[in-house]
Amino acid sequence: MSVHAIAEKVAAGGRVGFDEACLLYREAPTHLLGTLADAIRARRHPERIVTYIIDRNVNYTNVCVARCSFCAFYRHVGSPEGYVLSFEEIFQKIDETIEVGGEQLLLQGGHNPDLPLEWYEDLFRAVKARYPRFRLHALSPPEVVHLSRLAKLPVEAVIDRLITAGLDSIPGGGAEILVDRVRKLLNCYNKATADEWIGVMRAAHRAGLRTTATMMYGTVETPEERLEHMFRVRGLQDETGGFTAFIAWSYQPEHTELSGVEATGVEYLRTLATARIVLDNVDNLQSSWVTQGGKVGQLSLAFGANDMGSVMIEENVVRAAGASYCMDEIEIVTNIENAGFAPRRRNMHYDLLGEPIFRERAIPRRFGLAVAKDAGTALMPDELSGYAARSRSAREQRRAPGRPAQPS
Amino acid sequence: MATVLGEVSSQVLAGQPIPAATLETLWSEASDLVALGMVADEARRKRHGSRTTFVRVAEIPLEAVAHVPIPPAAGEVRLVGTPASPGDAVAAVREAVRRAAGIPVTAFTLAALSRMAGGADALRELVTDLTEAGLAAVAEATVDEHDDLRRDVEAVRDAGAAIARFTIRRWPAGSPVPTLQDVRRLQKTSGVVRSFAPLAREIDHARPTTGYDDVKVVALARLALHDVPSIQVDWRLYGPKLAQVALLFGADDVDGVQADDEAPHGPRRAPLEEILRNIRAAALDPVERDGRRAVREA
Repeated sequence: MSVHAIAEKVAAGGRVGFDEACLLYREAPTHLLGTLADAIRARRHPERIVTYIIDRNVNYTNVCVARCSFCAFYRHVGSPEGYVLSFEEIFQKIDETIEVGGEQLLLQGGHNPDLPLEWYEDLFRAVKARYPRFRLHALSPPEVVHLSRLAKLPVEAVIDRLITAGLDSIPGGGAEILVDRVRKLLNCYNKATADEWIGVMRAAHRAGLRTTATMMYGTVETPEERLEHMFRVRGLQDETGGFTAFIAWSYQPEHTELSGVEATGVEYLRTLATARIVLDNVDNLQSSWVTQGGKVGQLSLAFGANDMGSVMIEENVVRAAGASYCMDEIEIVTNIENAGFAPRRRNMHYDLLGEPIFRERAIPRRFGLAVAKDAGTALMPDELSGYAARSRSAREQRRAPGRPAQPS
Repeated sequence: MATVLGEVSSQVLAGQPIPAATLETLWSEASDLVALGMVADEARRKRHGSRTTFVRVAEIPLEAVAHVPIPPAAGEVRLVGTPASPGDAVAAVREAVRRAAGIPVTAFTLAALSRMAGGADALRELVTDLTEAGLAAVAEATVDEHDDLRRDVEAVRDAGAAIARFTIRRWPAGSPVPTLQDVRRLQKTSGVVRSFAPLAREIDHARPTTGYDDVKVVALARLALHDVPSIQVDWRLYGPKLAQVALLFGADDVDGVQADDEAPHGPRRAPLEEILRNIRAAALDPVERDGRRAVREA
């Protein structure tokens, strides 16, 4: 089949097969991909609304045993730079999020062997007790797999316990590229295989949770493997319908073990447009302004995106790898309106919450994203002494004089 | 809008100028950004095909002309700053040319030279002196900084000199079409505009332009200036991502690529590799040029 014939099929509402998608992605002119993707976006969202969410990316710990070669954020167990946020610090971040109109945390962190499942349950319960309406979009599939191994419980049981404690939805992080050849090369196969990532999402959907799906591209994968990733997401979505959105972003290489270069802006727009064409069963595609910057982030709206993602407030992982873009609500709304769309706040389920909050009340401008730990605060909170630790360094730290004995 | 874009496409293919009223319609009503980009890309490809030029520039502050190292990889040495007098300007160019060892030297803004000269005849004499000192071209004519742009441009032309590129400091509020029409008329009568850089040189960080605004103005410039050979984007000023995307909306030349390979913040690819990779990733063919627009050998 020719590019032209595939384009006609897509324009008529047809579903592309793998080989057709590969041909489009490799050979279709960028304008054609954009035209096709924009038409699908317009069919699916004819009201010309572009959404965004006010939430905060909180990374509860940077200690991680996964050691993915593309990550600049993690610290080894025992590292003097390793941290865990205290419950109080997380409450403070929630207070600040609520102040600017947010109602959700995107809570993710490293695979810290010294944080048992009970720590997460206590945290979620504490958040829900203090902020009953506040949403926890938390723990990507590899974190759930990590907890499953740590607690020696099936994934389904871990998800059930987390839901009981207050988990509302699961973010699609840790997907990278859902092809095990790639995951082995990136040293992220052991944290979760492609099947395990899909398995967690399937279990979450069956348990009634909605989740997102992501793709980090631009490392060692081939274009076909990017497509294979999209088709795996499409397959599970056909089965469960549980994904609310798909978010693609480019690998950020600075300060990482893998190093290399970032994929270009045009590659991003082509990838986004192709995702819109392939993922005909996923309603929402986010713009990744945090990796592409505001300008290309806005241009995403012409290449299939219908959502500007999150105001974010705080971000640590992508920034550690070199990206330092920031947009507050005013700037996101300006970009949406400038592109000819109507901005609306949403929640994780993409329910519309209303007009921009800064038009309802005064919100201070922000020209930089907050960080996980304020300077001068303790890297490891005292409350950890109440939880079992796996690593020798953490066990010794928690046994230090003046601390209560940890449970066995 | 599809009908208007269809007409514009026909006019582009026929090499006809696009009427101002049509350009205004495109500016105010084109909600289909990709379709606008496609038509601008047609205009660009009609003139240049997939060929995309770039120039590695070593910017030298005027006060440091005697001692700042000049990277040998530079294709253009650009003297920046405002000289105190015509004599200082000529001396600085002479020194830059001596140190550039054959790399074309461009210098100054035409507005600064015009202010210094104080009149058309004096400007012509000054530019003649600069050319005799080895200047390859006046670096920049900022179209919104002149009391009488046509007079100044004609003085340069009469001196037998060139202007490397025409730029705009800041777009006026509203439509860019009237300004683009001014540039079109200037080109029609003078023929000196060989490159126009439509992205504003002055960035308001409190109210930055958007990606849509940027690529729309690039597309409009390509369509409005049908007899201007080159539409240029600045690699440093707007960043690699936007500059690369602009190549799909009518731009054909990338200015301001870093000439040396040292980067203070972490490992990056050499600028040459980076620009080649970006142009190729846009399915275009990179060609390196120098400050005289001559192709540099690989």
